Amino acid sequence: MPNAILDPTGATKTTAKPAAQRAPRPASLKGARVGLLINTKQNAAPFLHEVGRLLVENYGVASVTHRTKLNFAVPESDDVIKEMAAEADLIVTGVGDCGSCSAAAAADGVVFEAAGVPAAVIVTESFRATTEAMAELRGAPGFPYATTAHPVAVLTEDQVKERAAGVMDAVVALLTEPADKQA
Amino acid sequence: MTEPVPPDPDEALRAIEYCYEQGWSDGLPLVPVSKPYVDQFLATTSRDPDEIIGSLEQVGRDCTVYLAAVNAAMAGCKPEYFPVVLAAFEALMRERAARGGGFQSTSGPAPLIVVNGPIRHELGFNTSGGAFGPGFRPNMTISRAIGLIVRNAFGIREHVLGQATQGVPGRWSICVAENEEESPWEPLAADAGLPGGVSAVSATLTRTCEFIDNRATAVVEEVLRDFADTIGRLGPQIFPQTPVALVLCPEHAQQFAGAGWSKADVQNWLIEHSGRTAGEMRRAGKGHVLRFGKSADAEPVADEEFHRVLSQPQQIPVIVAGAKNAGISMVARIFGEWSGIASPVGEKIK
Repeated sequence: MPNAILDPTGATKTTAKPAAQRAPRPASLKGARVGLLINTKQNAAPFLHEVGRLLVENYGVASVTHRTKLNFAVPESDDVIKEMAAEADLIVTGVGDCGSCSAAAAADGVVFEAAGVPAAVIVTESFRATTEAMAELRGAPGFPYATTAHPVAVLTEDQVKERAAGVMDAVVALLTEPADKQA
Repeated sequence: MTEPVPPDPDEALRAIEYCYEQGWSDGLPLVPVSKPYVDQFLATTSRDPDEIIGSLEQVGRDCTVYLAAVNAAMAGCKPEYFPVVLAAFEALMRERAARGGGFQSTSGPAPLIVVNGPIRHELGFNTSGGAFGPGFRPNMTISRAIGLIVRNAFGIREHVLGQATQGVPGRWSICVAENEEESPWEPLAADAGLPGGVSAVSATLTRTCEFIDNRATAVVEEVLRDFADTIGRLGPQIFPQTPVALVLCPEHAQQFAGAGWSKADVQNWLIEHSGRTAGEMRRAGKGHVLRFGKSADAEPVADEEFHRVLSQPQQIPVIVAGAKNAGISMVARIFGEWSGIASPVGEKIK
């Protein structure tokens, strides 16, 4: 019997993550408190603020608060997630427009969902693969998210507003429709 | 006495193709690794094979001594290289950018690994001409081992969790053994906390290497102004500070030292002179760098104001490498910031 060729990935040692829980959805956004988690990438703040404004204006959202990520490249700390989950009923995060920050946005979204807070993750089209891979790593294969065209950083103020308006249907669906209707 | 049986190339090919099929390869053939072979690697260290030596929290993956050994063997390292692989990985994982998403980044940075001390000659590193490779097994395979660890142990694969837009040429192949014999100064390890000529590895991430060809002037400030032009150029400016490693050829280093300049003198001169004016930055679409970290109502910087891209010597580690045959040096653009701490090469079990 010859020697086996060894596996360099350690795959046999990793145990599969249990399936992450998904938060129950409200029937409507009326009266909801929305928290924006801004990832500091260029135009992420005006993009998310416009999403927040439209949620208030058109969907009856009661209040919008925001926080800025300390490090866009990695998932947010448990403390911040807990605080945001306590002060908001729904989360919108993004805009993932790079390798590490898109993956981190997906990871944050999965954690918010597990904490019982529906989350809408927004990334650019270019980062679908890494967003999906990270969600799967976090035990949430098929995690639904919203996309906008790439790039976002170079857009003018008006273009950012247009783009934000363009993701509203997807964001509202992500925050209100039961998981089995999504993705 | 019978002749030794020559290796079976067809069997070797089957093993190589098997490794490709598993998705373990960086694109080049891997050495298929058996348990007896990896045991030879593990025998070079007293560390427990199950000890975790690096984690990427965001992807939930750890690298153990064992996994590092398998990947080092697959990369083509000899067992006796393994303590250098461990030191290089330890030094690299000290970098905030490496732990914090650097391997997934669109910038596709490369580890810049620097080896010091007697281990360079014991293992046969290239310490002179062609410092950035290829041609020498330790230099090429130790850097490749790090790339395979990132791919296999951390699971960062291209187009999935790895999102490099273009990446750095030679991304997993930069391992420079300092030319201490022709350097007028202390080795990098001494600047990084390990004086006394010990064997040690320093590492950071680099976004590119840019050459400075300057061999027609004996005036130190003129040569340094050439360096400052590259260091201060606009392309790499995305944050207010853009650290660089200077990989000086022996000719430049000796020219500077011969004129009485210390490493610190070189670093301080470059801090003072490397950058661009605010106007030049704005004209190239880099005006946002000037506003970084400032409040929205802050007074804008005047066009003629000079924006320095460096502020402290630790942002400019100086290494001497290559042949003493031309005034050709390299500026390696550091991704994030260097920890400034070298890792000693561990003990060898007899």
